Amino acid sequence: MNAYGLAPLLLLFPAVGVLFNGLFGRRFVEADAKVGERWSGWFASLMAISSFVVAVLLFFTLQTNEFHPVVVPIMDWISIPAADFYVPWAIRVDTLSVTMMLVVTGVGSLIHIYAIGYMHGDPNFSRFFTYFSLFIFFMLILVSGSTYLVLFVGWEGVGLCSFLLISFWFDRKNAAGKAMNADAGRKAFIVNRVGDFGMVLAMFLMAWTFRSLEFDTVFETAVEMFKTNHIVQFGLFSAPISVVITAITALFLLGATGKSAQIPLYVWLPDAMAGPTPVSALIHAATMVTSGIYLIVRSNVLFEIARESGPVIFGVISTPDLVALIGASTGLLAGLIAFTQFDIKKVLAYSTVSQLGFMIAAAGMGAYVAAMFHLVAHAFFKALLFLGSGSVIHGMEHGHHHLLHDHSHAEDHEAVFDPQDMRTMGGLRHRMPVTFWTYLIGALALSGIPPLAGFWSKDEILAHANEHAQVVYVVLALAAVCTAFYMGRQLHLTFFGAPRHAAAEHAQESSRLMTVPLIALAALAAVGGLLNLPFLTTRMAEANHHHPAGVFVGLESWLEHSIAAFELTEAGTIHLPHTPIVLSPVVAGISTLLALVALGGAFYIYRNKPETAADPDPLQRIKPLWWFRILPLETFYMKFVVPPFKWLADWLAFAVDWNFWHDFVHNNIIRDMFVSFATFLADVFDKFGVDGTVNGIGSLTKGLAGAIRRTQTGFARTYALGVFLGAVALLVYFLWVLY
Amino acid sequence: MPEVTIDWYIALSVILFTIGSLGVLLRRNAIIIFMSVEMMLNSANLAFVAFARYLGDLDGQVLVFFVITVAAAEVAVGLALIVAIFRTKKSINIDDMNLLKG
Repeated sequence: MNAYGLAPLLLLFPAVGVLFNGLFGRRFVEADAKVGERWSGWFASLMAISSFVVAVLLFFTLQTNEFHPVVVPIMDWISIPAADFYVPWAIRVDTLSVTMMLVVTGVGSLIHIYAIGYMHGDPNFSRFFTYFSLFIFFMLILVSGSTYLVLFVGWEGVGLCSFLLISFWFDRKNAAGKAMNADAGRKAFIVNRVGDFGMVLAMFLMAWTFRSLEFDTVFETAVEMFKTNHIVQFGLFSAPISVVITAITALFLLGATGKSAQIPLYVWLPDAMAGPTPVSALIHAATMVTSGIYLIVRSNVLFEIARESGPVIFGVISTPDLVALIGASTGLLAGLIAFTQFDIKKVLAYSTVSQLGFMIAAAGMGAYVAAMFHLVAHAFFKALLFLGSGSVIHGMEHGHHHLLHDHSHAEDHEAVFDPQDMRTMGGLRHRMPVTFWTYLIGALALSGIPPLAGFWSKDEILAHANEHAQVVYVVLALAAVCTAFYMGRQLHLTFFGAPRHAAAEHAQESSRLMTVPLIALAALAAVGGLLNLPFLTTRMAEANHHHPAGVFVGLESWLEHSIAAFELTEAGTIHLPHTPIVLSPVVAGISTLLALVALGGAFYIYRNKPETAADPDPLQRIKPLWWFRILPLETFYMKFVVPPFKWLADWLAFAVDWNFWHDFVHNNIIRDMFVSFATFLADVFDKFGVDGTVNGIGSLTKGLAGAIRRTQTGFARTYALGVFLGAVALLVYFLWVLY
Repeated sequence: MPEVTIDWYIALSVILFTIGSLGVLLRRNAIIIFMSVEMMLNSANLAFVAFARYLGDLDGQVLVFFVITVAAAEVAVGLALIVAIFRTKKSINIDDMNLLKG
């Protein structure tokens, strides 16, 4: 089977979806809301599903072709023959990109279908699906690009879609009259710019050093240069290749902290929850935010070289170690912040930041497969949790709506009702059973309870950390405890106990369109561990080596074909087979035990508190924990980064641009120069030059005429004398001058 | 009796022309000036005829007829003008006719 040629279809389908919904969607919906929504939503979903089918075909194609990576060209994009620099637009089909494609289109399709139900009745229904298809399009460009520049196009494209979708309800204002959603979108965009700046610089460095941005070429050249201790010339100064690659990877890390919401740039992701919930599920949990991890995993060769280069950054730390440290500390910090959140989606947002920290840490430790495994598993259960929270929000809104129409409860409802506040929920398991059971599976999977997906993926990271980096292990284990605890807290606050608000009493289960994707994702979250089961992989990996054409037996042997495990020696690179994962009973036992204890602890602490929506949280007695609620980094930015930046911007705007440039340069220099020149022309040149010439000729003529006038005496004899003298003169001339 | 050569004719022509031009320049009576002009024309005629005879060419002699014709026409117009001026100014003093001065 060979479906490599179908790869461009992967991008074509979502593009068609964008065009359809962008051009005709609104007309369909406005003509007939019911039929129009069906067309608009299902068309977009169908396009996502079609892309998923193509991804599946590519998956099987890879299997029948010995996992052989193929680059399918689409067009020559940039070619500068003089500099021997070419950037083609091509689709890279290898095991890593196909894994990402499957996740993006698979989870994406389910969320598309869910969104048809969730966005029902929204006046901008088709606009939503236009952006959604556009997002799938750019995300596929990101994961399928065969060069860093194409990856960056996708990177920016998904950033744009993220911005558009966070501020989807841009006209919504909060009680204070601030357009919170639009602000959140802008914040995400601006914070991501900081990371993108790192990406751009990294690409400049790569283009200069390797004269190419193509993955294969960059990696091969990098290994070659590293072996020969190449010195890179930068005009006036030069640097050894190890420093250059460390710089490139550090800039990648900056890009990844922006896109994947890590310290120090995670601040945008919690605010991004202002967008519709399917957006949070697809973009801000399952796919876009994982592109930072994809970037690091994709650039694993560069990161391994950086690891070999040793502690180059300030002589203290190497980039991969920094990556692992940032990932682990983000995991713990975000886990702690999640304790203090009351918004059901904010808890999940911080949880996402925390889980992304796990992945980043895994990638930093060199456990690329574990990072990808957790990425896939996380896509399943976090998408599930977000969709579940969306279902809860819908249920609460429905309950509140019910109240508004029921005047007997009129005294119960406040002026502003927040359907996302967990304090107003409680006891929803009876009202929304499907949502509850699927949510429970998701929450347990996230907490790492066997045999659900999260257990296997998280355990693999922890086992690797335990073996290679004890510090990271301790931090991550603590973060895992936090995870279990805040999920237990959320579960209890939302679904257990008694309803704390009349809206929760009247909450209603969501429609079939929303619950079916929940069930599908719950199934995936439950069995996702099969993707890389330790026992299975050990056994099958051996079998697979005898049959290179083989079948998919686990991510480890699957990704082996795009994540090269290698050792740099004097003689050259030696490719190592991936060591099959072994389940570490101690690590797995400890983390399961800790998770269970944390879950149980959360259920115990929240067993009968808070009783009403106004009651304080039992955790509020632990003061230091609530310091995290004020968001340490956010406060720091608002206090120390934003004001100087604003001051600088003000200074640039008012002092430099307005006062200096417009007032001084434009008014004083340019205008005044022009005016004085014009004055010179008018008063001097025109008056004395032009007028002077003309008048001068006039008065000269006049004066001359006055002088000549005197010769005209009117006496005929004078004229006769003139004639006579003239004749004499002629005579003299003829006689003396001519002869 | 010496032979009358071309020189004599030319000398007479020059004398006549000189008297005529002095008359034009010095006299104020328009009639006298007119007569002086006639004298200059005739001195030229004399020179023409003398040279024609001397060179054996008839062209000069023919030209004289033209000059006489023009002079006659001129006298007719000129005298008419003088009469007309006299009727208005009661004078034929040429210095009184200076209306065209600059």
